[in-house]
Amino acid sequence: MTLTKLLERLLQLVPVLLGVSVIVFVMMALTPGDPVQIMIGDQIVTPEQEAQMRRDLGLDRPVIERFFVFLGNAIQFDFGQSFYHRRPVGEVILERLPATIELTLVAMLIALATAIPLGVLAAVRKNSIFDRIATVGGLLGVSLPGFWFGILLLVLFAVQLNVLPVAGRINYGISQGITPYTHFLLIDTLLSGRIDAFRNALAHIILPAVTLGLPMTAILMRVTRSAMLEVLRADYITFAQAKGLSRHRILWRHALKNALIPTVSVAAIQTGSLLGGNMIIETVFGWPGLGRLVVESIFVRNYPLVQAAVLFYAVIYVMLNFFADILYTILNPRVKM
Amino acid sequence: MRIFHRTLVASAVALCAAPAVQAQELIVGFTRDADTLDPANHRNRATETIIRNIYDGILTRSSDMQIHPEIAESYTQVSPTVYDFAIRSGITFHDGSTLTVDDVKFTLDRVVLEGGMGDGQSSPRASLMGPVESVEIIDDAIIRITLSEPWPLLPAMLPHQQIVSRAHVEAVGSDGMATQAMGAGPFRLAEWRRGDSVILERFNEYYGGATGIPEAGPACVERVIFQAIPESASRVAALLSGNVHIIAELPPHSMNQVNNSPNAQVMTVNGTRSFFLAMNNQGEIFDDVRVRQAVAHAIDRDLIIDRILGGTATKIDGILSPDAFGKNFDLPSYDYDPERSRELLAEAGYPDGISITLDTEGAMRDTAEALASLLTNAGINTRVQVGEGTLLTQKWRTQGSEKEGDMYLSSWGNSTLDPYDIFVPTHRTDDRGNSAGYANPELDALLDEAGMELDRERRGELYQQAEALANAEVPYVYLWVPQDIYGVSTRVSNWSPSPDSRINLHRACLD
Repeated sequence: MTLTKLLERLLQLVPVLLGVSVIVFVMMALTPGDPVQIMIGDQIVTPEQEAQMRRDLGLDRPVIERFFVFLGNAIQFDFGQSFYHRRPVGEVILERLPATIELTLVAMLIALATAIPLGVLAAVRKNSIFDRIATVGGLLGVSLPGFWFGILLLVLFAVQLNVLPVAGRINYGISQGITPYTHFLLIDTLLSGRIDAFRNALAHIILPAVTLGLPMTAILMRVTRSAMLEVLRADYITFAQAKGLSRHRILWRHALKNALIPTVSVAAIQTGSLLGGNMIIETVFGWPGLGRLVVESIFVRNYPLVQAAVLFYAVIYVMLNFFADILYTILNPRVKM
Repeated sequence: MRIFHRTLVASAVALCAAPAVQAQELIVGFTRDADTLDPANHRNRATETIIRNIYDGILTRSSDMQIHPEIAESYTQVSPTVYDFAIRSGITFHDGSTLTVDDVKFTLDRVVLEGGMGDGQSSPRASLMGPVESVEIIDDAIIRITLSEPWPLLPAMLPHQQIVSRAHVEAVGSDGMATQAMGAGPFRLAEWRRGDSVILERFNEYYGGATGIPEAGPACVERVIFQAIPESASRVAALLSGNVHIIAELPPHSMNQVNNSPNAQVMTVNGTRSFFLAMNNQGEIFDDVRVRQAVAHAIDRDLIIDRILGGTATKIDGILSPDAFGKNFDLPSYDYDPERSRELLAEAGYPDGISITLDTEGAMRDTAEALASLLTNAGINTRVQVGEGTLLTQKWRTQGSEKEGDMYLSSWGNSTLDPYDIFVPTHRTDDRGNSAGYANPELDALLDEAGMELDRERRGELYQQAEALANAEVPYVYLWVPQDIYGVSTRVSNWSPSPDSRINLHRACLD
């Protein structure tokens, strides 16, 4: 892939983001509900005081004007002030981001590490008991609602067995003295040489990550299984067998590499939806990530934050697809970008 | 896959020891995180609950809702519009500096003055200070608050303002105040993990807080953590596992589970939110008082409180909570009598009954469905229509302009338990919360007079008259005041929930 191609792809982001920002802005503007009224709640307020609050949030200006101000500022990475936090939206989002990314990556790792071997095994032992169990398990994994499965895990591991914590990322006492090199606690604790803190952070992330990763595991396993089945019927596999290559080598070197192509593209898209799934999982496990922040912000019509966060999600989604394409060319050199 | 998960989790379990909770660390499983730590820059009750443990106010409320001087030593009402507050000496902020009348004036000016927050921004809490016109320093111990018109609510509203240090605000600016909390309260900020928890440590030089509430001195526990756990089932799990010691907003259906556990118990307190059915008094059907009375007689409130709300609500026959000032305890009750409903409907010209739609939010759906079936049973064919909260607010709180819709199941909060900020908005003609669209000049006059009346006894009588009038006219069917339900670890002592849903931990201890 050449540099020009790369730039071309990056430039394609511009119209996508512009479109997304128009849609988000219009949607938020059309959604009924007035942030000022929500803020005042059940309190007495004079019309002057209400007008003053509206002025302070910039909501006294016409929608069109607000849109262009938003656009002009967004180009300079200024997304305005969060109505509720009263700090720049960018700052609020950035503080929540590492928790979400860490959770998503761990969930994805769990999903990939589980789904690929299981998918391969299910394909090799097609129609065996194992294959059937895996298929049913996969169906369950996709169908179980995350919030329900998460609470089930909490009841088992936190309440009954009392071995894992319910909420948060790390205990306060144990977190002292950890340098935030990356803001990913699993990495920072290790870099700071603090095994005790690493264990604590791992204990906190394990349940939300398993819950978040479960549907993805199920989907990826099924994709890997069917791709593998197809590849195993291909001529070059028969040829490899004829050549006398070991079964192990055929499976993991020749077959899997080709079978992984659909898995990779599905994984990339699924990672995008993991970010969406975060909204529920972060609420269940009190995980201090971006998903929960966005949900809370939508309910209280915190326009600037929702706009910026959705734009951010759009960028991530586009980038993930972009990386999937690159991986695609690496796995399958016949495909050129 | 399951086997793999199990192995993975099992190894994680082996790797991680159970989180050890330290002896003097009290953890509150809270519904959300603070929006900001600046006492002047938010409009959020949960945020205030957290902030109140870091900052003290001029006045405060005890858990029985009595007003006590806190940073003030005492206060006197000089005239209908002038209040003097004597500020205590010897109070220190967390940074060791002394709190002065200058800090008090600065704090209140920051809230009430237009542009008081700096950068042209005004405090979103200004309206909580009503008609405050000026704050003056009389001498180095007295602060005078002057109102532009009489407002008996001032002492009840002052606990909502917390005193900041002028020097600190000037050093960090309003931007810095969002995250760098520094007050004169029982706990100082140790760390704020945004979205996760606010960690507070005991301030050992604390002056002791309100004198009217016993056991002054520094806080009992060394550390307090407000841990955000938005999902109620997860909060219950956290309490039962011993991860947290107090949880807010325990769902009624989890009460047995908590009470049956050896290490936690349920604590309840009457809340301050009154629930009601607003009937569109401007509409054709409900402009007849007989139809409104028919609705009132059709509803078996005891049944719903018992079966749906787990017995955790108190029935009301007027808008005010039984704990509120000026409550009229002699109001006649509209007993459950569906036959009477049918008679009243027939008298009003609807011998075959009526068909209506009941609007409500998703969270209230169960209750609405139960109400609808009771109403239908009495000849008022009711269909429940679930809508999103802000949409419904716009549809019903029209402030006088014409509204569409028949009936709305809703509520209004009254954190001061003073009738002024629940009765006026919900019943005064065209006011903000008057979702029934009710207009009665006689009631308006009573409310206006009570709002200005400084004689406490007379003021109470006026509200009692107002409640009797509203009870007879039934612009709303008054339903109940739900209790706030908390789950509390048996290790916690010396803490009880407050009706205004604040969680003050100054005096709480942990075994």
